[in-house]
Amino acid sequence: MLEAFDLMVFYENMIALNNVSLTCKEGSIVGIFGSNSAGKSTLMYTLSGIILDIKKKEEMKGGERITVFGRINFDGKDVTHLKPHERAKIGIVLCPERRRIFPESSVMENLKIGSYLTSGHETKKNLEYVLDLFPRLKDHLHRQGGFLSGGEQQMLAIGRALMANPKILLLDEPLLGLSPAYQEIVIRGTEEIRRSKGISIIITEQYARPVIPIIDFGYILENGSSVLSGTREELMDNPDVKSAYFGV
Amino acid sequence: MEQMRKERVDRGLKVRTEGIYAISSYREMAYLLGPRLFFILAVLSLPFILDLAPYWKRVINIMCTYAILAISFDFLANYVGLVCLGGAFFTGIGGYLSAIFNTYLGMPVYLSMPAATLGGAVLCTLLLLPCLPLRGVYFAIVTLMYPLLITRVIEALNIFGGTNGMTGVDSLPNEYVEHYLVILLSLLFLFGMRRFVNQDIGLVLRGVKDNDQSVRASGIDVTSMKVMAVFIASFMGCFSGAYMAHLYMWAGLSLFALDFSIIPIASVVIGGGGTLIGAVIGSFILVPLSELLRAFGTFRIVIYSVALTAFIVFKSEGIMVYLQRKYHQFERWVKI
Repeated sequence: MLEAFDLMVFYENMIALNNVSLTCKEGSIVGIFGSNSAGKSTLMYTLSGIILDIKKKEEMKGGERITVFGRINFDGKDVTHLKPHERAKIGIVLCPERRRIFPESSVMENLKIGSYLTSGHETKKNLEYVLDLFPRLKDHLHRQGGFLSGGEQQMLAIGRALMANPKILLLDEPLLGLSPAYQEIVIRGTEEIRRSKGISIIITEQYARPVIPIIDFGYILENGSSVLSGTREELMDNPDVKSAYFGV
Repeated sequence: MEQMRKERVDRGLKVRTEGIYAISSYREMAYLLGPRLFFILAVLSLPFILDLAPYWKRVINIMCTYAILAISFDFLANYVGLVCLGGAFFTGIGGYLSAIFNTYLGMPVYLSMPAATLGGAVLCTLLLLPCLPLRGVYFAIVTLMYPLLITRVIEALNIFGGTNGMTGVDSLPNEYVEHYLVILLSLLFLFGMRRFVNQDIGLVLRGVKDNDQSVRASGIDVTSMKVMAVFIASFMGCFSGAYMAHLYMWAGLSLFALDFSIIPIASVVIGGGGTLIGAVIGSFILVPLSELLRAFGTFRIVIYSVALTAFIVFKSEGIMVYLQRKYHQFERWVKI
């Protein structure tokens, strides 16, 4: 469904992604694991097209030169040069790192902003779906986003991404700063999204243990290159992976 | 297909001059000092070069006055994070105070100007104090409103000469004092501020710009830091005003004109924000440009705005940022 070939991203002379190729099949969950500075966020920015936007902004203010190489296919079409909003239109939706919800809008408004692309009927359906998925949001519908707890904000961010009717959902470190209980809720929610809607999901995380049970396929990133890939079982059996990403 | 990428690399000379090796040879020293010395000498020799065109000699004074205002704006906006739309507030206060000291109290020029600069800075800081603890747009709004407010007060109460302004302000002793006072002080402010923002206290101010909560958490009082920064900026602004009052031998409501707020901001945009020297270069371009365009009458504003907009769209980084990059780095294509 989503395929990326030989992605290379340079921030000035520093290489952030080095020949990364990845495939996400229809209806599967792909996990991407790596420590800080492994290139997870850059990969997500590249897949969702945000990198093109950052690149343009840096160019205008005379900052770092960002160079992007590689090819991205989505549903058999080449989307390499599509802008981020065009990618969102065809169904590649990013739920960014650190949530980036709109702190001064209420929960309801946040969700409505996410549904900008969908028609009224769909919006209603999606809203019901999101509130079913994360019932906690129901209690706070009219509270400002900035006053929610970290976990609730994360649910809201995922909900907002779902409102755009994604075909593939990119979750960038959804477990960042969450308690184990909330991690559990978010992970179960993620699995539920795939099960009930058949949406493909790419999920990045530093610590693999909470995520590994739900993934079908995983990649390990180190210093910008993909050093290992395999199905869940293959990753779990690998001794290096075990020590580095499971804390065993 | 072979992929090529443009690479940006520091010049070897630049890397060498970062350490103690800077003083190892004349070439390294010239690399460091060259641009600075060239700029200083060029500015200092301006009055002599322009001896041939007396009208343009007057423009030097205005150019440097705006340069000082632009430095003050650049410092506040890019090092402290306070967007000040009130250059006119500083010039007005400084100019009127200097005129008052000079005509009402009979102080000579060499006393009234420093007194007005210092007194004006204190007064401006006190008047701006209420909005300093706040974050956001409030400081910009308040600085924008004060000049308008004071203009109306002077008009309505008919104090300080009312709409006619205060005449009979002493002039500066002679033409060369006029030129070199403002040139030397603008150079002093420029290099002084460059040094100041790289001291420890300058780092704290930059911290205030980036994240004031973290600065507070480090045990530093943010408001007093801002008070100090506003004092420094208004000190420079008030000097410009006091100087202009003596230059024109008159202090009037036009010292509160919006020009003194807007042109410095435009200069900073053109020169490149956060470089300080860019602010000076920007006003050295913009002020003569607006003089040149005087021939077009009111149409000059149109040309002026189009030029500014084009600049923001096509080279929003600013002249100085661009030049610095070209000076310190080179580019080449590399295979990946």
